[in-house]
Amino acid sequence: MTKLTPQDLTLERMRADVAAVLHEAPEAILDDDNLMDLGVDSLRVLNLSLQWSETVSLEFSELAEHVTLAEWWAIIRQKRAALGVES
Amino acid sequence: MDDGRAAGSVRAPATEAPLSEAQSGLWFAQRLDPANPIFNTAHYVDIRGDLDIEAFRAAVDQTAVEAEALSLRLVERGGAVVQTLDPAHRPFLRIVDVSGAVDPAAEAMAAMRRDHETPLDPTRDPLAANILFRMEARRFLWSLRVHHLATDGFGMALLTNRVAELYNAARGGPAPGLAFNPIAKVWDEDAAYRASDKRTADAAYWRDIMGDAPEVASLAPGKATTAHRFHRIERTLPPEVTARLRARADAGRLSWPDVLTAIGAAYVRRFSGAEEAVIGVPWMGRMGSASARTPAMIMNVPPLRLTLDEDAPLDEQLILASKALIRTRRHGRYRSEQLRRDLGLIGGARRLYGPLVNVLPFDLPPRFAGLDTTLKVLGTGPVDDISFTFRGDADPALTLEVDANPDLYSLEEAAAHGERLAAFLANALDAETLGEVPIATPEEAARELEAFNATAYPVPDTTLTALLEAAMKATPDAPALTFGERTLTYAELDRRTAQLASALAARGVGREAVVAVALPRSLELVIALIAVLRAGGAYLPLDLEHPPERIAAIVRAADPTVVLADQDIGGAFGEALLTPVDWPLDGASPVVDQAGEDAAYVIYTSGSTGEPKGVLVEHRAIVNRLLWMQAEYGIGAHSRILQKTPAAFDVSVWEFFLALISGGELVVAPPAAHRDPAALAGLIRRHAVTDLHFVPSMLSAFLADPAAKEITVAHVFCSGEELSAELRDRFHQTVKAELHNLYGPTEAAVDVSYWAAGPEDRSRPVPIGRPVWNTRLVILDERLRPVAHGMGGHLHLGGVQLARGYLNRPDLTEDRFIPDPHHPGQRLYRTGDVARRRADGAVVYLGRSDHQVKIRGLRIELGEIEAAVIASGLARETVVLAREDRPGERRLVAYLVPAEGYDPVALKAALAARLPDYMVPAAIVALDALPTTSNGKLDRKALPAPVFEAAAGRAAQTPTEKIIAELFAETLGRAEPAGADDDFFTLGGDSLLAVHLMMLIRERLGRDPGLGALFDRPRVVELAAQIDAEALDFDNGLGVLIRVAEGDPALPPLFLIHPAGGLSWGYRTLARALSPRRTVWGVQSPALDPKNALPDGIEALASVYVDHILALGAPNFQPMGPVHLAGWSVGGVIAQAAAVELERRGVEVGLMAMLDSYPAECWRAEPEPDPVDALRALLAIAGYDPTQYPELRSRAAILAFLKAGDSALGGLPEAALDGVIRVVLDTNRLVRKHHHQPFGGRTTHVRAALDHKERDLTPGLWRPYAAELDVVEVPFLHPQLTGPAATALIAPALDVRMTAAEEKMR
Repeated sequence: MTKLTPQDLTLERMRADVAAVLHEAPEAILDDDNLMDLGVDSLRVLNLSLQWSETVSLEFSELAEHVTLAEWWAIIRQKRAALGVES
Repeated sequence: MDDGRAAGSVRAPATEAPLSEAQSGLWFAQRLDPANPIFNTAHYVDIRGDLDIEAFRAAVDQTAVEAEALSLRLVERGGAVVQTLDPAHRPFLRIVDVSGAVDPAAEAMAAMRRDHETPLDPTRDPLAANILFRMEARRFLWSLRVHHLATDGFGMALLTNRVAELYNAARGGPAPGLAFNPIAKVWDEDAAYRASDKRTADAAYWRDIMGDAPEVASLAPGKATTAHRFHRIERTLPPEVTARLRARADAGRLSWPDVLTAIGAAYVRRFSGAEEAVIGVPWMGRMGSASARTPAMIMNVPPLRLTLDEDAPLDEQLILASKALIRTRRHGRYRSEQLRRDLGLIGGARRLYGPLVNVLPFDLPPRFAGLDTTLKVLGTGPVDDISFTFRGDADPALTLEVDANPDLYSLEEAAAHGERLAAFLANALDAETLGEVPIATPEEAARELEAFNATAYPVPDTTLTALLEAAMKATPDAPALTFGERTLTYAELDRRTAQLASALAARGVGREAVVAVALPRSLELVIALIAVLRAGGAYLPLDLEHPPERIAAIVRAADPTVVLADQDIGGAFGEALLTPVDWPLDGASPVVDQAGEDAAYVIYTSGSTGEPKGVLVEHRAIVNRLLWMQAEYGIGAHSRILQKTPAAFDVSVWEFFLALISGGELVVAPPAAHRDPAALAGLIRRHAVTDLHFVPSMLSAFLADPAAKEITVAHVFCSGEELSAELRDRFHQTVKAELHNLYGPTEAAVDVSYWAAGPEDRSRPVPIGRPVWNTRLVILDERLRPVAHGMGGHLHLGGVQLARGYLNRPDLTEDRFIPDPHHPGQRLYRTGDVARRRADGAVVYLGRSDHQVKIRGLRIELGEIEAAVIASGLARETVVLAREDRPGERRLVAYLVPAEGYDPVALKAALAARLPDYMVPAAIVALDALPTTSNGKLDRKALPAPVFEAAAGRAAQTPTEKIIAELFAETLGRAEPAGADDDFFTLGGDSLLAVHLMMLIRERLGRDPGLGALFDRPRVVELAAQIDAEALDFDNGLGVLIRVAEGDPALPPLFLIHPAGGLSWGYRTLARALSPRRTVWGVQSPALDPKNALPDGIEALASVYVDHILALGAPNFQPMGPVHLAGWSVGGVIAQAAAVELERRGVEVGLMAMLDSYPAECWRAEPEPDPVDALRALLAIAGYDPTQYPELRSRAAILAFLKAGDSALGGLPEAALDGVIRVVLDTNRLVRKHHHQPFGGRTTHVRAALDHKERDLTPGLWRPYAAELDVVEVPFLHPQLTGPAATALIAPALDVRMTAAEEKMR
């Protein structure tokens, strides 16, 4: 696996990663779905946070505070902006 | 949002809030136990390297400000408690330099321990502390301790990570992330959730999931309430295990923490032996919450129920577990404390879940730039039971921590669980099914199979017959056997058993022939059993109390060659019957070449298929059992063993033979005596019994009887049902004897294990102990593998004592006697008992794995009762349960679906004809259908508790019935009086309660119908009638002669002459002890009737009595028979005078017995007694102890007391009472002026040997008036001679003398 860059971490990339841990198709994950209700548990959030922290500095607790893809994207977008990456 | 998450608030942040639900539980627990430090959570970080102390201090102090929960203070205000923030409580860093100490590490550790072992008062003390111990220049320990009210484990990780983040930023690392959320956000979420629909929905979800949860089983018995400390065991799981864990999880598209949780649950289920695992799964509750970035106490422990089918593919089971975990998390916010309240699981021993399985993948040491750190957790809060915590990311780091409540687990047990779970996990990760995973470690398996069963002991290859014959030859003149007043020596026993054996041989009895024996307890019974053995056969005891139909069924099944019985019961014996009158009076014992593997006896027990099954035991089995017991308890020529157990119950086997193979004496109790505590106590005392057996329930009744007090014997053996620790302790308070708890089924020659339950034994429960010689007790799981140490399992027996099998039932034999998989060529018997081994190897009985129950020590297969219900044709379906709706009160209840023509009365009659009385259900409940669970199994929980009431019953009517009905209710703890037709035992009475009832009846009615009367007449109406019948006699019975007890009209009666009071009521107990064999008359003073003149003297009085006796004549007694006389105290003086008078008239006198009477000249010189003392004699007549009532010193006071006391005397008409007082006062005058005449017959004197310390009153004083003096000494005081304990000795002594006198006359 090649190393991700901040540019690679897009909303669609995140959707695909979430879908993968849930064994679902990406299109099944809507921006405002409660991911906990879809079966995302803390370990999966931990794994996602580790995966994504390769691109931006990210703590598990920052993701865990929220339960929708839209909220997660908002956090990542802020961090990308701090690194000067345009959305 | 209705789930209360991320509630956007524009209000100013609150500075005060009620406690959250999570905090409330902890607060109450801490308040209940203010000295308990276990609510402090603590860890330390071991830091190596060049720590920048100022940067570290700044990071810690900033975190202390950001993490508001650390400065919480609780405030009690008007009964409520709130939490507020107190800046003074912020845990700013303290630095302690221990580098100067001899052992800096020890110094630091001790300081930390002191800190986290100091209980906190949350209303006063700061809840958190940060301390940095400087150990050396480049080595530090950073200790963080926080009360659980302020944070949970996840919060602790947030705190350390935040300190690291700030430190790293200060040291030039990346900028720190966002600060923690304010605690008010968490409070707002909590308030919103409490008011939300989501909470209502969660509550409904959990009630649905847990409402039908089974009784939660854990890994150790006991109450799960946290102690002040806990055991901690830590082990690292090897990388190959974590690699397999991740691989297996990935293959199943599962998360590895869920796999760990499922396998942890499987371990718990297996060890606890429960149908389901019900574990607690700590849940951090952070997802989608502000608390994801807020240290706070959020963590919840929801329950997880997993069935975990051990035979199904494990992968499937893991998926089911994972789905269950997902559902659990969805509803995980609902507090388990609240769920406990919802389900009514507060207090008591009922739990929501057993052990905890906690997986913490987040808990990694904080990363400080340029420093090496390791994290050590010291405490995470209360440990109610046992917690298995997996900490680490499994890549590859994973540790297993076992935290255990020291009140429930020893440190060794906690360590063993850690070792076993690690091995179980490693094996399960490779397994196809859970069933194939062993749980015991190889060392445990070896101990269970071998070390605990090292019982090899050389026992001679011989037979019971040979042992008996050797003893007969060894001491021919020693007493062998005593029944009543008859004793056989070993030589006589040899002769009589040889005679019968020769007759049996002549009828074809030889090796392997079965001979049924249906005789009541008697000399003949023992002779019969031994004769069968000497003829080479096996005896089959039949219980005469069983219904004829059952006896006939057993005889049909066993097809005995001969039946030794008094009569043909139910026509089943036919040609095989040989009655004692036909036993020969000569003949020698046949020579039989018997071998150890020959059948010795066959005992039938209840069979689950509906037919009783006959257990066939071989000689070598019972020889091992008997020789072991002889050696273990030092049985020998000095031993006198009581035989009181019915022969059809296998405990009787050692009772019958142990004394007789040891040169000792066998004391055979009269039939029915085994149920009568007073009679047993009398037997024990009279025959100086050394060893005897009790079923615990009967022991309990025995100890409750005053007659048992201070009995002294060598050994008392218990078996047949659980010996409770309470009973053991009561035993040692009452009786002086060793107490031994024995265990074994009929299928293994009576007993296979033993335990000394002495006064120093504190075991709870009392174990069944360790195996006897050449015997194995092994506890195996469902797949016949040895269980792990301390785990419950199926008790299997092996060794020489195993029965050959069930007579003529190879199918049943094959089912219960299985090949021993661990010892090829040997067999194991499946007991059906569930047992557990203690650390010391002693086995503890836990219960049954099937539907066998025991009631009063009698083994019952519920299937046999069910078969009988169906066989009646009155029910289509049935299930019989032994219910224990009140503790200690086990009753059989038959539930059924009626068939055409159903009638409960007819059904009960049909059952009584087929089953022994103890197997007839106490209640029958007809239902439209038997309830079933969702998977179609019988739902036992849904079966209603039976209502025990007088169905067709009228209420109690007569005054006596009403009192008895009330006393039934009082004894049985019922709110309503019993109905007139209610049966004491049906309502739940047992023999212990029966003793209590009898005491109440004695108190309230002043009458003692006797325990036997209750067994014979257990219904209110019957018992009342019995009491009234006696009362009637007394009420009408102010005449000279009253019949006190009814007996065989063919035997001459006994006349008991009144003592000083003129009444003969005091002879009730003695009279009852002599009946039903003999009629007893009381002789009373004519002066009781005030119309009659006072007698002139004793001689005149005696003459009047003789007139009455002789006038009685036929049919009341045969006038040609001898007249038997006895009297207590003054009654003896009058009896002597009456005997003289009878002799003068030429009438034969049989017995003339004085109970502690002394000649008149002993009294003539004495001062006249105080008239008040004479009055006080009335109290004794009424059954009171006069010395207890010193205040009663006037006629009026005594009469008022007697009337109020409801004694029979108090109910007498005024005139009769006057008569009594008159007689009492006159007696002294009569005695003092009396001059005895010599009596030419034999004078029997029963002396109260414990009395007369002050005066030398001896039987010898009668010598001038007695042609022959016969003295019986009993160890009692004068006033006690008519009481039950003395009666147990006196009645047989009188009876044997009356019989002898009658024989002399013939």
